[in-house]
Amino acid sequence: MSLDIDRTDEAPVPPLGKRVQELLETRPGRIGVWVAALGALALVVAFWSLARKALIFGLAEEAPLALAAVGFALLYRLTGIINVAYAETVTLGAYFGMWFNTTFGWNFYLSLIPAALGAGVLSVITYFAFFRPAHNRNVGVVEMIILSFGLSIVLRYGLQLIFGHEQRYFKVPFQNPIRILGLGVPPFRVTALAGVVAGALILYWFIQKTRLGIQIRALAGDEKLAQVSGINPMAVTVLIWFIAGVAGGAAGAFYGVGASVRPLLGWSKFLYILLAVLVGGARGLRGVIVAGLGMGVLLSGLTLAIKGQGLYSEILVVLLFIIILKLRRNRMSEAAKV
Amino acid sequence: MSIDWLSAYLIYALFTVAGTVGLAQLLHLQMGLAGIGNFGIVGFFGLGMYAWGVFQVRIPWPDALGDWGSFFLSLVMAVIVSGLAGLLIGWVIADLEGDGVLVGTLGFATIMYSLALSEKRWTGGAEGMAVPDPLRTFNWGVKPMSLFWLGVMILLVVGITYYVARVHRSPYGRLLIAVGQNEPLARSLGKPTFRTKLILFALGSAGMGLVGAVFGVMNHFIRPTEIGIEVTLAAMVGLVMGGSARVWGAIVGVLLTAGLFDIVVQIYLPLPDSWYQITLPVVREIVFGAMLILVLLWRPLGVLGDMRRDKLVERLGSG
Repeated sequence: MSLDIDRTDEAPVPPLGKRVQELLETRPGRIGVWVAALGALALVVAFWSLARKALIFGLAEEAPLALAAVGFALLYRLTGIINVAYAETVTLGAYFGMWFNTTFGWNFYLSLIPAALGAGVLSVITYFAFFRPAHNRNVGVVEMIILSFGLSIVLRYGLQLIFGHEQRYFKVPFQNPIRILGLGVPPFRVTALAGVVAGALILYWFIQKTRLGIQIRALAGDEKLAQVSGINPMAVTVLIWFIAGVAGGAAGAFYGVGASVRPLLGWSKFLYILLAVLVGGARGLRGVIVAGLGMGVLLSGLTLAIKGQGLYSEILVVLLFIIILKLRRNRMSEAAKV
Repeated sequence: MSIDWLSAYLIYALFTVAGTVGLAQLLHLQMGLAGIGNFGIVGFFGLGMYAWGVFQVRIPWPDALGDWGSFFLSLVMAVIVSGLAGLLIGWVIADLEGDGVLVGTLGFATIMYSLALSEKRWTGGAEGMAVPDPLRTFNWGVKPMSLFWLGVMILLVVGITYYVARVHRSPYGRLLIAVGQNEPLARSLGKPTFRTKLILFALGSAGMGLVGAVFGVMNHFIRPTEIGIEVTLAAMVGLVMGGSARVWGAIVGVLLTAGLFDIVVQIYLPLPDSWYQITLPVVREIVFGAMLILVLLWRPLGVLGDMRRDKLVERLGSG
């Protein structure tokens, strides 16, 4: 028995530089994620006093953004429609909630129900009135965006015609702020955050695990095959539009109670919703939630860092997300060419 | 010759309609032919307007240039700046799908609006800035000056329309249509689709900037309220109304929308005076938005339908 093993077949160990290069080339995604996570952690530790405020205020103020983005992402992923009028679903949710809250004296949490249901019903109505006829007439992708843009304009200026430009407010009793990490946060914001997390988790579970969720995904994958399998496409599509509307309406009510209710409420958030969905959407609903919350933290962090210049932080965040979108699309198109 | 019958408002309305035709005609090249859905028209329009104003007012031009020298140099700079912005945005969006194009162009318009508000030292912030009219040395009075700029705008729009008509008859136009209809096919045939879209987008943006700069000159005042979403909507509804794939579509459509509403409804219909300030501008946007929906659902080729389709499109369809 010889210990002499012939090693000529085995590849020689490549030099270190080549190994590092291969490591970088073969696992760009994971390494990038770790580097980004470590960088973020280092930033949080280095600027703890700023990061603490950014985390608390950003999560508390912009949590509804994540909820609205989840609704928009559902609609976009499952029906393929980029619905600009989704902004007005958010606005109308805020108006429905405020109406029940101020006119009928309902508690804020109770008025969330009519806000969400009203926006959901409105979303279904827009589907039957405009998007279904447009789909049946084979309206193109760009034309569909323009159509929803027109609908958004009609709803937004319609609200302005009826309610005027002025800002309206929910009637809520003053509550002592809750202290988190040494910072006072209004309780509504905390509930908003909790509600967003709960709502997003329920939606995620619903789409991934339940029978209806499977039907929804089947319909999005292949409409004809889904029909053959006994899925009622109409009922499932209506359900998608209703859920998206509910998510948008609840987000609008949370935005409304946090600040004010005005016709431009949804439109002022639409660009951020769209960016969160496009950047996070490649990794499913979880990615959308992370992108929405991350955007809120970044917005408030930059606003604090640039000393109250909110406009600059908005410009920087929009630029950053568009750059991410561009870089990732470049990589995707490289892969698609192969 | 007396021009008393021309009210100042009528001149201004005609000027707005002419400018909207120009924007819609440029959008026709970008969206109707090459299929780039530009939702940030007002961003390039506003950048041109503000760039002209900032160069004209904030740069200490040497006296030797005179009023007209500094005016023309500022105008050239405005066109260059908007063209460069178009090149940058075009590079971002040229290989993205409809959603990416929407977010890129809409984001650009939002950033321009925010910059107009925040850079008070240059733009005057929310109050805006007054800009000089190079015609002021002639002492013509307000109305003849407005008429002069109306003439300039009409000449500019005629020039753009002539260029669009030439594009329709040229190999370049066929390339644009190929890129807009089926981009992978055009690329597989060896056409440089990315470069084509990029250059077209930059040229269109430079044109929009020029239209915006002339708007600023005519208005004598540049404010953020001038660069709202209404500008994008007016150009888009005009183009869609007239048919986004034909040379005369933008002209017919804008005359039927902005022309009808801003001139016929606002001047000749007996409306209560209290409506003009608040109600009419809002009703205008509602009507435009509704027209956009109705036309896309029932007359996707525009009000003219497929009546006398352009020869080029017919030939492509049969061949």
